[in-house]
Amino acid sequence: MIEEIRNQARQLLENGEVDVVIGYAEGSDPSRTTPIFVRKAEDVEKLIYDSRCINSLPIYLNKRHEYTRKGWKKSAIIGKGCDIRAIVQLIAENQLKRDEVYILGVPCEGVVSHPDKWDGSLHDGNRASKCTGCDVMTPHETDFFPGEKPEVDRSKPYEVTSPKVANLMELELDKRFAFWRTDFDRCFKCYACREVCPHCSCNVCITDETTPSWIDPAAHKKGIFSWHLTRAMHLVGRCTGCGECTRACPMDIQVDLFNQRMKEVVQESYSYKPGYSLEDKHPLITYKVDDREDFIK
Amino acid sequence: MGKKIEIHDFEPKIMAFVCKWCTYSGADLAGTSRMDYSPNVRMIRLPCSGRIDPQFMIKAFEQGADGVFVSGCHPGDCHYNEGNYYARRRNTTFRQLLDFNGIDIERIEFSWISAAEAIKWTEVIDAFTDKVRELGRHPQYNDDIVDPYAQFLVQKKQESA
Repeated sequence: MIEEIRNQARQLLENGEVDVVIGYAEGSDPSRTTPIFVRKAEDVEKLIYDSRCINSLPIYLNKRHEYTRKGWKKSAIIGKGCDIRAIVQLIAENQLKRDEVYILGVPCEGVVSHPDKWDGSLHDGNRASKCTGCDVMTPHETDFFPGEKPEVDRSKPYEVTSPKVANLMELELDKRFAFWRTDFDRCFKCYACREVCPHCSCNVCITDETTPSWIDPAAHKKGIFSWHLTRAMHLVGRCTGCGECTRACPMDIQVDLFNQRMKEVVQESYSYKPGYSLEDKHPLITYKVDDREDFIK
Repeated sequence: MGKKIEIHDFEPKIMAFVCKWCTYSGADLAGTSRMDYSPNVRMIRLPCSGRIDPQFMIKAFEQGADGVFVSGCHPGDCHYNEGNYYARRRNTTFRQLLDFNGIDIERIEFSWISAAEAIKWTEVIDAFTDKVRELGRHPQYNDDIVDPYAQFLVQKKQESA
């Protein structure tokens, strides 16, 4: 499978169709892989793909990052299904044009939840929770796919993959608050969850604004709830569920539970699944006259 | 003619974010008509209910508000044609988000109040104030977010006294 991808990448670079191929290469130790930017055709042998490739590459297509300002006209990117969802969402939000990116889709069997849990193979003990119930193991939007692409039914509603969301929803309000309070106690606002998110596109993040300062930047408790609520609110209807925020968190706070819950809410209220359509607008920038308003007095 | 004044142990702080075309004018009408309504509400006038960012509500809670009230024109009456439809969607999801975080969504109220509905305004505000008063101070959130600098000032004042 990877041979075909390499051949295609080599061809693209030799013909000058793309300026760079973004993919994965062997990392610093056997359990890790690292993102790689291949610009010369002879370097394509470095490209790999297997279950250790957990990084979400579409952040390198996000205009917030300097890679996109290097003058590269077209980038090819190796995408597993969940990454392609993020790319599709970026295109739907006009952050990226469809002809600026060449998607090399890979068939995916799931990835590990964390490099530390890699023991040579992928099994139920170390598979990431987002991979259960995944309907894009055969990617949906590709320019190149090794072999035949089977038809997959993707019309099913979004499925919450982390059992913790349902468990939390069963708890009483106070208990739920206590859970988040103990979790957020560890947060020191490093904003790794923001940096790793493919959908945080603002040039100046609201946390970096100083006039007015919406979220207290100091590492004490003030502002931690504000930050996590703000982050989750900005991603309502846009999060494609790559789960990178939780993986990147140095304090193991499960910040993507918020996003999963909100995906569920958006699916219930507006039957919208982010990351599947290049045209559909996300639900908070559009409306219907007969939306639900059962909470309004 | 006025209501009987009652004295309570706890007076909640209520922030109201209101649309200038409908709810603010409605409240204005209530004032000019000499109607009584609960004085706990602090109003902020905004151009449209679509301007009310959830960030304002988060900030209000962080700054010690016990309840937040959001109000705008009835659907179809928006001065900017569609602002309140966006507000409706935003608040639907925001309430669920607060609920998932364990913050009581009884502390947030959303209401459509037009410029002519001064009576509705007084009723809704009175009812909401009573509800928040029963819920009490917003302890869970407030305990966490006490401003360290304010704490320092209070401590200094106590020491010097």
